[in-house]
Parts: sequence; C-alpha cells; structure tokens
Amino acid sequence: MQSPHINQQNSGYNEKMTHASLLGDLIELDEVLDADLAIDLEARKQRDRDIGRKLHRNRSKPASQIRAWLREIGPAAARNNGLRATRLYHALCLALVITGLLTGWGLASAVLFYDGNQPINVVNAVGILVLPQILLLLVWLVAALPIRLPLFSGIGATLGFLNPGRLAGQLAGLFSEKENRGLAILWDPDNIASLAPAARWLFSFWSQLFAFSFNIGALAAAIFLVSFSDLAFVWSTTLAISNETFHQLLTILSTPWSAFFPDAVPGSELVANSRYYRLDEGTLAGTAATSPQLAIELGQWWPFLIAAITCYGLLPRLLTLWISWYRFRHHLRKALCNLPGAPELLARMNSPLVSTLAVQPEETREIAASSAVAKPDATRHAIRCPVIDWSGACGRTDEITVQLGTMGIEVLEFLRAGGRQTTEQDQELATSLCRHKPEGVGILVKAWEPPLMDFLDFVRGIRRQCGQKKPFIVLLWGGQDGVTAADRETWQLTLAQLGDPNLHVEGIGQA
Amino acid sequence: MTLPVFAIVGHPNKGKSSIVSTLSQDESVAISPVPGTTVENRVYPMAVDGEILYELIDTPGFQRARAALEWMRSQTGSAVERADTVHRFVDEHQDDPRFTAECNLLSPILEGAGILYVVDGSRSFGEDYEAEMEILRWTGQPSLALINMIGDSDHSEEWQKALGQYFRIVRVFDAMTADFDRRVQLLLAFGEIREEWRGTLENAVRILREEQTRRRTLAARVIAEMLAHMITHLRRRRLAEDEVMDEARDVLLQAYKQNLAAMEQRCRDEVEQLYNHRDLERHEPLVQLLDDDLFSRQTWLLFGLTRQQLIATGALGGAAAGGVIDLAVHGTSLLLGSGLGAVAGGVSAWLTSDRIANIKVLGHSLGGKEISIGPMRNINFPYVVLGRALLHQRMIEERTHAYRGPLDLTFHPEQLQMADAATRRQFEKLFSRLRKQETLRTDLVASLASLIENRISVGSAGLEH
Repeated sequence: MQSPHINQQNSGYNEKMTHASLLGDLIELDEVLDADLAIDLEARKQRDRDIGRKLHRNRSKPASQIRAWLREIGPAAARNNGLRATRLYHALCLALVITGLLTGWGLASAVLFYDGNQPINVVNAVGILVLPQILLLLVWLVAALPIRLPLFSGIGATLGFLNPGRLAGQLAGLFSEKENRGLAILWDPDNIASLAPAARWLFSFWSQLFAFSFNIGALAAAIFLVSFSDLAFVWSTTLAISNETFHQLLTILSTPWSAFFPDAVPGSELVANSRYYRLDEGTLAGTAATSPQLAIELGQWWPFLIAAITCYGLLPRLLTLWISWYRFRHHLRKALCNLPGAPELLARMNSPLVSTLAVQPEETREIAASSAVAKPDATRHAIRCPVIDWSGACGRTDEITVQLGTMGIEVLEFLRAGGRQTTEQDQELATSLCRHKPEGVGILVKAWEPPLMDFLDFVRGIRRQCGQKKPFIVLLWGGQDGVTAADRETWQLTLAQLGDPNLHVEGIGQA
Repeated sequence: MTLPVFAIVGHPNKGKSSIVSTLSQDESVAISPVPGTTVENRVYPMAVDGEILYELIDTPGFQRARAALEWMRSQTGSAVERADTVHRFVDEHQDDPRFTAECNLLSPILEGAGILYVVDGSRSFGEDYEAEMEILRWTGQPSLALINMIGDSDHSEEWQKALGQYFRIVRVFDAMTADFDRRVQLLLAFGEIREEWRGTLENAVRILREEQTRRRTLAARVIAEMLAHMITHLRRRRLAEDEVMDEARDVLLQAYKQNLAAMEQRCRDEVEQLYNHRDLERHEPLVQLLDDDLFSRQTWLLFGLTRQQLIATGALGGAAAGGVIDLAVHGTSLLLGSGLGAVAGGVSAWLTSDRIANIKVLGHSLGGKEISIGPMRNINFPYVVLGRALLHQRMIEERTHAYRGPLDLTFHPEQLQMADAATRRQFEKLFSRLRKQETLRTDLVASLASLIENRISVGSAGLEH
C-alpha cells in the first residue's frame, strides 16, 4: 500500500483559470485519479479530508477545489504530462493560426489580384470572401445548438472530417503514447460520457481559431494590396440587376457599419460609375475610362470590402471563437468535476470524515494447529473411572452412563467441580479422588463452552495429585446438537497447551 | 459530560469480537473459535473529523472469574465496599499473569465505561456464568446484556430470565446478520444505560445515517461510471501487414471481454471499499457476451480518415487550390483549375494513401488497416450489468463485518430483471444516448447515478428475487 503524501510546497503550478491550464489539469487529474486507486481508501479519506478542510473556502467552486487538490497532491510526472499536453495544444493552435493566416492571405491575394488590365469584380470578392463565411457561420450556429437536429447532425457526422479542429485533434491523437494519452483522452471513446462535450468545444475552438486567422490573413492581404498597389474595383454581373437594386443590396449589406463608418458605404454614384460591361476590352457605364477622377473613384470600393470582411468574417468569427473558448473552458471545468473518481474525491474532501475503525492493530494469540492434541481418539477405552461433571455439564447422568458404557468407560461415580463450586472445593475433590488411586479420570464438559484457564488450572491440579501416568479423558458433551468438529478442534487446540501426553479428548454423541 | 465508552465483556467465544466488528464496521477484528484470541483491550472510536463521539472496547473474555470473585468476597464486608474491592482486585493483580484477562476487561469499566455483556443465546445458560455476572454487578457501572444468536437453537428466553437478575436492559442481537437499522437501534439502546450519553449517541446515529446515504450516493456514481464505460467501450487495433484478420479479431475480442470484466471487478472493489470491506472473496460468474452483441468493424485509416474521406479531402483541397488559379485568371479558365485540382487531389490521395500510411513518424505509422470492436449493441446488456451491480451493492451494504465467508454473487439472469416499466424507460433513455455515442452532456452519468441511487434506496422493490 502506498502511503499518501501531501505536497506542502508551492509547486509553482499555474493557478490561473485559463483553458490551457485547465486542460493541463484535466490530463493530470485523469492520471492522478487512476494512480490514486492503488492507495488504501481509508488513507485517501484522511488525506483528502485534510486537504478539503484546508480548502474549505473553495467548497462552492468544485473545479477550483479539485485544482487546488492537484496542486497539493499531484506528482511531478503527472504534472509534466499535463504540461506536455498543454504544449501540444499550443503547438496545434499555432499551426492552425499560421495555416489560417496563409490561407486567408492567399485567397484574398488571388481574389484581389489586379495587373492593370482586368479590374477586380466586387461581386466576386464579396461572393468569395464574405458570403461563404455567412453561410458557414449559419452552419456553425446550427451545430452549436444544444438540441440535435437529425438532418444537421447527419450532415455534421458526414462532413465532420473536414473540420480543421477535428483534423488537428486526429493528428494530435496519432502521436500520443499509449501510456500517456495526453490530449487524446478528450476523444477517447472510453471517456465519451465525461469528456465528449469538452472535446466537441475544443474542435469548435480550433476550427474558429482557423477561421479567425483566415479572416485576419484575408484582411491583412487586402490592406497590404490597397496600401502598396493601385487597385481598381468594378462590379459586374450577367444578371439583370439595375444600379439602384445593386445599390440597395449594398446598402443593406453595409447597414451594420453605416452609422459609424459612412465612407465604407458605396454611394449610388459610385455604383453607377463602376458598373462594368465585358464588351470588347471592357467598358464602364459612366464617363471615359481614362479620366483620372474615375480611376480614383474605382479605388473607393476598398473601405466597403474591408468593412464587409471585418463585419461578416472577422467579427463573427471573433464572437464564435470567444463562445467556443468560453464553452470549452466551461466544459473543461465540468469535466474536471465529472471525470471518473472526481465526484468521489469531492465527497471525500467536503464530507466529514467518519471513522469507526480501530486505531491500533490487534494483538492476538495464535495457537498453531500442529500443537493440537494429536493422538487419535481411543474409540474403546475399557476403563473404570469416576467422572467429574464440570460446571454442571449434563444433568442426565443415566443417559451419559449408557453412552460412556458403549465407549468402554464404566462410570464409578459422578462428582461435581467448577461452576458454583469454589476452587477450594475443587482442590479437595482432586485430593480425595486421587487418594483412591482410580484407573483414570473422566471429566465431562460442555462441548460448546470453550475451555477456560479455570478448567486448565483444575486439570493441572488433579494431574499433580494423581500422577502423570493416569489417563484423563475429557468427555465433550454436545447436548442436542452433538459435538461439532469446530468444538472438538477448539478443545484439542486449547488442551494441547498443557502438554499432557495422557490427556484424551472424546466426544459423546458426535454431530 | 463524559465520553460514552462501552466495554464489551463476557465469556470467551460468545461473539464479543463479532459484535464489535459489526458495530465498528471493521473487518480487522480477529474472530476465532479458539478461546483467548483477544488478549488485549482494543479501542474502536467513532470519530467525526477527529472528534470522538463514543468508544467501543473489545476485551478478552473472563478466564478465572470464580477465583477472582472468591478473592473479592474474601476482601469485602458489605455491599458498600464492593466497587472498591473490584478496584483493589485490579490494582493488586495488575501484574499477576493468572488474572491478566480479568484485569484487562475490568480496567475500562472501573474508569467509567458502560458494560455490554455478551452471551450466546443459541446455547443454554450455565452456572459458570454466574461468577462473571456477579463481578460485573459489583463494579456498579451501568450495563446492558446482549444475547448474541450465534447458532440456530434459541435459548434466549432462558437467558432473559437469568440476565434480568443482573442487568436492567437485555437485548437480542445477531452480529452476523444485523442490517444497518438494527445496528443503529442497538447504538441507541446503549444510550439507555446512562441518560447523559443519549444525546451524543443520537448524534452519532444521525451522522452514521448521513454517512450511509453518502455511501449510497457514491456507490451509485461508481456503478453509473462503470455502466457508461462499459456501454461506450471500444477497442481498436492497427493491423500489421501480414496479420490474419480473423485471428487479430479474436484476440481483440478476447481483450474486449477482459476489459469489460476488469471494469466490473473494479466497480465491485470500489463499492466494497466504500463499505469498509476489503479483500472479500467473491464468487461471481463473468457476464456472458455473445460475439453478435458487439459491433465489429475493419477500416483503413490515414490521419484518422477513412479512404473515402481522405479522397474527398484531397479532392476538396485540390479544388480549393485550383480555384485560386481560376480566380487569378478571373474565371477565364472556366473552372478548369478547380476541376483539375479536385481530380488531381483525389487521385493523388488515392494513389499515395497506402504509401503514406506505411510511413513511420516517431515510431507511429501514419495509417493502415484497423479493426475495432464495440460498442455494445445488445440492449439488454446494461440491464444485466446494472442488476448485478445493484445486487452486489445491496449484499455489501447488508453484509456485516463479522461475517467472514465468501460473497456469493451467483444468480440467474431472470432475478435481475427490472419489473417497473417506468423506471426501465428512464434507464433506456440514458442507455440509448450512451449507445449512440452522440455528443453527450456531461451530466449524463450524473443522471444515471441519480436513477441508480433511487434504485438503491428503493431496495428490493424493483428487482425480482
């Protein structure tokens, strides 16, 4: 049994309630609770109650209490595993951020590509950088609903593998060691009941981190291109949309920022002037293409585009990122309290320690079985002797006489000792008995009553007076139930302490 | 107010240690058919956060009561001096090896402990008990006699008559079979022997009842965790290139069944520990599982993706890359970039997947064939496991610490059926969610534990026995 040990030193452990430290704690707790089972429950109860009383103020915050417990008890190896998992988590976050930034930058650079020949179509840019984000956001909202919609959960299960967060998780699980499962405990099927929600929000957090980084990348690319090159924007569509309708659409799209960023709302004039028809080399609906004023005007679409990406891409992703982070943190805290063994731990810390066990180990006197009266029982004795009735073992002397007769013991007389007789009377009985030099002595006892020192004293006394050679037969009377093997063994073991070679134990009416 | 202390005294082998073991829920108490096994007093305090509420003292049995009483009688003149005479006896024979047992058992009584005198009610009264009862009466301490029913015969009436002459209160108690309520009733009866102890003992009983409730809650939680674990359990194994599928599946299946058995055994151990039962010998058949009860799959995986998912991911990735080219040329490529990218991505994923799967990074293959067993799909399985666990919990809760025989958990499956349809529906709802392994709520196990706790409280009402 391992002895519990309370780490009194401050371990330098991260006390902040960040999700990364919570994640490290969860992985550490899983390991510590597993190892804790090897410690005796009584020792755990004592240890955890001691810690619980120290952490009494945290009682209403079970997650904090468990983390503080970990700080007290957590071995360095488990803490390292927690820290390793946290590092892996950070590495994956960083990888997703970089991938998101590069993807966003790449896509925005492609969409906003302008070599002086073909102006950038705003409809394209909005269609690629803004609209899919709005659609994906709606999908995320459906997925984030607490209620599972059968259709959406089916789609989610089919396309779930495309989630960058889930892919990151699978990559992390691929390299986890079996003994130290690290982050992989979150999506281990064996932990599904306690950790599935945390895993779900971790994947969501990762995918939103990717999406947020993507938008940052896209915005950065857009700002870079606007700043360091001369972009020309137009709008063009085959659909029969009038300038007014398109302007109305843009106004609706710009509603979120129109109040505090009016320059980012395209005016009707700009819409009218920048409509582009793909005829010959391409013509604009407004004035001549060579007009410098128009060239400047065609560049005025950029505030709208930046605002649209920010409003429909970056900000919602910031919100979903925060929600995912918050929910992930929330479920990590819940998981800390729901991990197998954690509710028991909280109960041990917060419930009074009730003990009814003995404080000291018991001292017992063992009598070796080999020291029992070993001689086989003589089934036929052929002896005439007086029988001493010890403590009123049996009132029916006639019945006993007959039974003893079948065993070859002829009863000369019944005498009384023990019980209500005094020890002095017992001694007198022994003296008078031995004076007549009997062939042997029978002592009738209750088989179910254990032989006491009082009886052993009597046997020793009578042996002293009658000599060592006379056979003494202890006759076990079993009453209605007969003599059980256990009773016989008890008597044999106890009488063996006398070391008397002429002492026999016989049962009357064996069970 | 003095601390309630009770000395358990009597003839050897009449169940003193069994009574102490049952009341203190301590199975470390030595119980032996050989008289004189207990040689020293042993204290069993009931402590709550270190504060002692009462103490039970297990004592050695009388060995030379007649001789001790004779000495006392020779030393005293009147009834007034009797208690002092017993004191003097202990003082003068403290170092006398003949009276070690008598001095040990009388010492706590002379220090104020209440007397709990234990006899075996399944055997007839004998005159050899009179000396020890007389000595106890001489101490003048409050006392109670307990008739412990060790065997099948009943001589309790005869004992009541004899004990009634020496003790004001006589109770019958079976240390081997007494359930929790009987144990606390006995503790409350101890309070009757001295008025000032009653409040403390009532408080102790209240705390013991709370502890009992807590144990049930924790046992329910342990069972719920086991059930959730067993229902959702899944075992996977990556196949080596030259490995035979059927053999690998058999090995995995065996391991799966062993895992389930280990989960059950761990649950049993934890529940037993909650009730202070350790190292119990259990006789329990393993839960029977048919191979058809389990989902079994063979899949090819790379980065955790199946081949189809991998091809789809490659195609989408290729399409995205090609789409960038399409955009760069303002769609003049007629989506050729996206199309070709998708085809190239999908085909290359298909062609290279096997080769990539065999690549080892940090000793781990990136992919390959994998077989998985589980989760359990037999809808009756959780009920069988739950029934077994509930039965075990009840047997453990009712089992006294004096009883040292093996725990026999052999039963027929029909004994474990849940009769109550409404409860079964509640359980089925939770089991179904666990079986589907959809995204789960963290409080699912808590809900299951709550239901199980109700079952435990209801006791045998829902189980057909």
